[in-house]
Amino acid sequence: MRSTIATGTAALLAAGLTACGGGSPGATINNSTTAGTLIESPPLRVASLNAADLTSQLTATSQGQQLVALAGTPTCGVDFHYFHYQTVGGKGESTTASGAIMAPTGGTGCSGARPILVYTHGTAVTKGYNIANITDSTNEAWQESAMIGAFFAAHGYIVVASNYAGYDSSPLPYHPYLNADQQSQDVINALKAARTALSDGLPSGDTDNGKLFITGYSQGGHVAMATHRAMEAAGMTVTAAAPMSGPYAMLAFGDAAIAYSSPGLGGTIYYPMIVNSYQQSYGNVYQATTDVFSSTYATGIDTLIPGQYTYTTLVTSGKLPQFAVFDVNTPGTGTEPSSGSPELDAILAQPSAASNPIGNLGFGDPYLFTNSLRIAYAEDALATPDGFIPSPTTLLPPTTTPALGIRADLQKNDLRGWTPKAPVMLCGGMNDPEVFYTINTLAMQALWAPQISAGLVNVVDVDPSTDGDPTKAGQLPTLVGTIAAGVYASEPTAGAAKISADVQTAVLSNAAFSGFFSAPGVPNSPQGVMALEVASVAAQATALYLGQGVTDPATLAADVGNGLVANYHFPLTQTACETAAQAYFAHF
Amino acid sequence: MTQRTTSLFRRASAILLLAGCAAAHADDAAPANEVRVGAYFVQYSTKAHDLSGPFTPDGINLRVGNVTTTYLTYVRRLDDNWGLELAGGIPPTAKTYGKGPATVGSVPFNGQEVATAKWFAPSLLLDYKFLDASSPLRPYVGIGFNYTRFYKLDSTPAGDAANGGPTRVRLSSSIGPAGTVGASWQITREFNVIAAFSLARVDSNYRSDTSGAIRTTSVRFNPRTEIVALGYSF
Repeated sequence: MRSTIATGTAALLAAGLTACGGGSPGATINNSTTAGTLIESPPLRVASLNAADLTSQLTATSQGQQLVALAGTPTCGVDFHYFHYQTVGGKGESTTASGAIMAPTGGTGCSGARPILVYTHGTAVTKGYNIANITDSTNEAWQESAMIGAFFAAHGYIVVASNYAGYDSSPLPYHPYLNADQQSQDVINALKAARTALSDGLPSGDTDNGKLFITGYSQGGHVAMATHRAMEAAGMTVTAAAPMSGPYAMLAFGDAAIAYSSPGLGGTIYYPMIVNSYQQSYGNVYQATTDVFSSTYATGIDTLIPGQYTYTTLVTSGKLPQFAVFDVNTPGTGTEPSSGSPELDAILAQPSAASNPIGNLGFGDPYLFTNSLRIAYAEDALATPDGFIPSPTTLLPPTTTPALGIRADLQKNDLRGWTPKAPVMLCGGMNDPEVFYTINTLAMQALWAPQISAGLVNVVDVDPSTDGDPTKAGQLPTLVGTIAAGVYASEPTAGAAKISADVQTAVLSNAAFSGFFSAPGVPNSPQGVMALEVASVAAQATALYLGQGVTDPATLAADVGNGLVANYHFPLTQTACETAAQAYFAHF
Repeated sequence: MTQRTTSLFRRASAILLLAGCAAAHADDAAPANEVRVGAYFVQYSTKAHDLSGPFTPDGINLRVGNVTTTYLTYVRRLDDNWGLELAGGIPPTAKTYGKGPATVGSVPFNGQEVATAKWFAPSLLLDYKFLDASSPLRPYVGIGFNYTRFYKLDSTPAGDAANGGPTRVRLSSSIGPAGTVGASWQITREFNVIAAFSLARVDSNYRSDTSGAIRTTSVRFNPRTEIVALGYSF
């Protein structure tokens, strides 16, 4: 899962190809349908950039300069390859998918035997998502591609990243979103094909040195953990893994959102993708889309994502609501009939904005999911409760299979209950409004307490306002918004540019953040990195809203806080977590 | 093929059928056959749309280098003024160069020899010679059509690097109008020298395949040919 509301933290990479070629033999085509087969060898090299050119192109924009500052100046060039491979769909059917191999080039530390880093990407709404397409900044994958290239390939890792079945050129007519078995096998198939490409020989001459790292963000955090689990189950070597901001505790996450009225930001995208994926794979979610989706959106929603539309188009054209996951008229309110149970009506009620601002935002009209689904879901959650939601007991999913199809599917894809053998760093942000850290990461943290004590597992909360302390959750937007309002109130006529710059300085020097810097502007930790980004977003938001005519400090505070929330999951948390992952993997 | 080109083709074919009769009448005046050997200086004025296809940045184009090759022509004299010319030459190897940005990524591109190709490009022309048959210097003009077929297309290492891997290329064959202006200088009854300038229109569709990435463009080569040759009549 990855927010499509973003300020951007990537950079401009250009590259290219073409010319005339000739009757010299082309790539060898392997027509085997065995999963993991590399279809074309050698795979197309989309772009080849030496370290100097990569640096030059990354730093051509201010966002790129920021990225290079965090990722470090590239020490290697990067060859970006586009490859196709055989894989399987959610029902075990044969299909193909595509992906990227980012091969480092250059001297010592950039060529020869190198470690492989498997990257698993976050939620994408366009079918054309292609993480190999570094030449096209309009592709939805471009920022993620540049980021991963800068953080890892430019520092000597052979990056292997699947686009996943159902994306890009894959003929699979749906995407098995958050399907742990399928997605882990899909990634393993991509890795197998990439290793074939390496052994067949790439222009970089890179070879596999046997070290394997796995990392991914948001949806990719779930995929990374599922892949780690599957690889260890299959006896494959994993050197270390860093799942980040993933929905690991799928059933608990679903129960919190649907039964206990706490939908997350972005739920109008993520939740239908889950429903469609599980319906395609397991066929037990609905008979007709109207069983779960409101009539406003039910027609065509089963094939809407991934598809041709960007997030903006999906929302502005009315194909999906922006926030309203659920009906604002919850069971037993207004003219809406009661569920028949006061207990159910109570847990299904819309939370107040004061107690749960993100959850509150997820109710409206028109809305996405029907109350009948929520009632059935909540009844099942009460009958077969999760061990973490609504309150921690076993911390695990129920031992019996829930009766309701969607809950049984969530349980099937819940990653709680396994223990890694290889070192793991879990990274996320405590205030994540989209993939709740307090459910997903904290559940894994609690379950892996023995491994944490043994030093096998690290948990990193990159949010400087919480730094791992759940009791401080929820304060960041107010804290930063108040700083911005205070600066504005102190110099209301100074002009937006000066006020914006002063807000950035004030945030960085605030006692809540200043401890994460070794020198002004020099972060000493992932929390410092996030503080830098928080200050940057606060400054940009201040300039934006002052430019739009905001004059009331309280309004400005709220707007700046909302700006942080909108950018929290991506790019703020991801960028900070990538720095954490980069540093973590360097230890092996 | 355009309607105009088709019309020219029909006219030339009809003239070919009549050539035997006409030659019989010409036997008494001068030798009916002539072969020419000389040098062909071919300059290209290539015009192509930028290549399009996956992973292809804007501004990527091609240029074909000039070539010199041996000119070989047979002329069938129809009468004192008309002749039918089948012009050709030993197929040269044309070199294709990258035209556009200095590099694509970090790979050198502009000016790099990215491919080579041979082409077979005969032209069939109906010539008209001015002045009297006894005049030693005779300007002439010719019009007809050109057929160009490309073969032995080879990607160079630079081309493969720019394309992103081993690449197969196709250039479609072309039929287009051709014309020539020149002059002959009769040295003896059998020998003459000629100098001529020819134009042809050669349109081709370019298609490359690099690991399944298909890139296309249309190319107009517009060869301009300068010819110096020695003719022998018999």
